[in-house]
Amino acid sequence: MSENLHGRAEKLIAQERIEGISQSERDWLAAHLRECPVCTQVAQQTTAALRALRGLSVPLPPGLAARTQFRVQLRAQEMHEREPKRRLLWIMCAMSWALGIATAPYVWRAFEWAGESLGMPRLVWELGFGLWWTIPPLIAAAAVLMENLRLTNENDQ
Amino acid sequence: MADDNKALAQGLKRRDPDLLDQLIEQYQYRLFRYLLYLTSSRERAEDFFQETWIRVLERGYQYDGKYKFEAWLFRIARNLVIDWQRQKKVQSLDALTDPDEGAPMEFAALNQPSPLHLVLTAEEKTGVHASLDRIPAVYREVLVLRFQEELGLEEIAGVLVAPLSTVKSRLYRGLEALRGAMQGGAA
Repeated sequence: MSENLHGRAEKLIAQERIEGISQSERDWLAAHLRECPVCTQVAQQTTAALRALRGLSVPLPPGLAARTQFRVQLRAQEMHEREPKRRLLWIMCAMSWALGIATAPYVWRAFEWAGESLGMPRLVWELGFGLWWTIPPLIAAAAVLMENLRLTNENDQ
Repeated sequence: MADDNKALAQGLKRRDPDLLDQLIEQYQYRLFRYLLYLTSSRERAEDFFQETWIRVLERGYQYDGKYKFEAWLFRIARNLVIDWQRQKKVQSLDALTDPDEGAPMEFAALNQPSPLHLVLTAEEKTGVHASLDRIPAVYREVLVLRFQEELGLEEIAGVLVAPLSTVKSRLYRGLEALRGAMQGGAA
């Protein structure tokens, strides 16, 4: 029997278990195995290896589920307690954003007036207006980042 | 099945404590077994087991119910192990990198028993446990997912975040390695 036939049979033996094979391939393999003791042995060894793998048992540490459930409950409680604080932060951010938009034209005029009164170049008071807009969101973002960092550190401990 | 998964996804989004308790009970054996074969250490497997469920609580909203819950669960567990390996910069037998794709498998102590070997009872040290211990972790992992957890090839690809072709190739090599290791053990 040629090497090619054995090679094909071995490939099909594995393929049948991993991906499945077509009916014609199954028929061919069955016919080959009837005549080839070497490939039959490979098929039997594969079946035995997988049966042993499927029947494998691992001793479970006692109380593992209970300990985990307790930890998860504690964490859930902690998250639940933080929820109002986080919600408040988002509400404040939203309000600040809305107020910022609503008052922007007045603040622009105020900056313009102050700039002209103090004899500042236009670029300077425009820059001041830009900072007035960007600094609060940057502070809010830094607060959120610090909070996340603190949570990560707490989780790691 | 799809409806069950959707209901599960809703419960996880709500962080339903009863659902979480039930899931921990239901999947404790499978998750611990997977982690044990992934880490080869009972203590580490226990730690990762707890961390995995904390992650499930925190990121439950990410599960959309489109695929099996256990595939998502194993993926979380696997990512935790990989993060830990990266942090510790551990290069050992159980580095979950493909030996065919660059990073070589390094045997920490060829002459000494591995951690997995140490946790096994005398009876288990012969047979399939010992055979599994002898094959590289990347192959052991896919064998466990396919033949113990009965996950489909695409689900395994999802857990590993790897192409289907990689999963298949690891399975073929793993099966061959397992058969060889079992024959070696029997001899």
